[in-house]
Amino acid sequence: MILTLVLLIAASLLSLAFVYLAITERDLLKAAAFSAGQSVMYAIMLQTMGAADIVMTYVAVSVGLYSALLVFIISKTERCEG
Amino acid sequence: MSKRLLALILLIALATIAPLVFTIIVKMDVPRALKSLGLYYVKNTINDTASPETVTAIVWDYRGLDTIYETLVLYLAIVGGLAVFRVKEVALKTKIGLTSFARSSTRIISLLIATISLAIALHGHLTPGGGFPGGSALAVASMIVIPVYSANALIARGITSTRLVAIRGFALTGIGLVAFLPTIRGLEIVTNQAFYPATVLGQLISGSISLYNLFEFLAVMSGFTAVALYLSIPEEVFKVAEGA
Repeated sequence: MILTLVLLIAASLLSLAFVYLAITERDLLKAAAFSAGQSVMYAIMLQTMGAADIVMTYVAVSVGLYSALLVFIISKTERCEG
Repeated sequence: MSKRLLALILLIALATIAPLVFTIIVKMDVPRALKSLGLYYVKNTINDTASPETVTAIVWDYRGLDTIYETLVLYLAIVGGLAVFRVKEVALKTKIGLTSFARSSTRIISLLIATISLAIALHGHLTPGGGFPGGSALAVASMIVIPVYSANALIARGITSTRLVAIRGFALTGIGLVAFLPTIRGLEIVTNQAFYPATVLGQLISGSISLYNLFEFLAVMSGFTAVALYLSIPEEVFKVAEGA
């Protein structure tokens, strides 16, 4: 029980850190990678809470499809912001 | 950079302290037992839908009509996405890919992803997963193949966007037929156990659930792969097409 809670807290804090890094990053490719890191942390949280079905969809869409689409779209514009 | 690090540390410290204070003040209680609604599904899913997987049973049987409308919404979204790209497939004939190291590793990884995605989709009525996660996983495999081997590699092997859209149309027709067939015998639309068999040749297929999973897998995979094919067109091609 305590391990579950520790894992949940650690994953949520790390996801917060990833979100901050993704928002403040000027290199868009790195920002997309940080965003994928946040999704991995969310997947760990969902798995800890026992939602295996959601994890399947979440990992495929949020870590895979979403990041790949972002990289494709960044290739159509400039890599650095501002 | 140091300012960014300081803000990060401050953010994490605040995020640690705030829930601690909140829990001490509110004294949250963690639920230990299943709610009566959850208990109903755990007890009755296997009898109602012949599927041991409660979530898939809810998605494709208890709330089946909702999921079919959701599939339609996704279909319209992808149709809209494809309508934005107005370049013909000739534009995709670039042959630039990555080095042989990247090619070999991508070959292994994409094969693994394809196998796992098939397992997710076809065992969707037995284990967590289903058509949508399986289809998006296979679309991810094609999305890594496109930059590494170039989009032309897919098109040369017959995976053209026209065919993908055709597969998508076929799969959606399949979903519609599976949903409508029970009405022939006067049953409600999206009926599962009263119309479809639970087992075929001794294998548990959970009636219509595995059929829905298969068609949804095809629809999602082909839709996302078609979008990826069009997204991989370089921006210069659009400018040339506009100028011409």
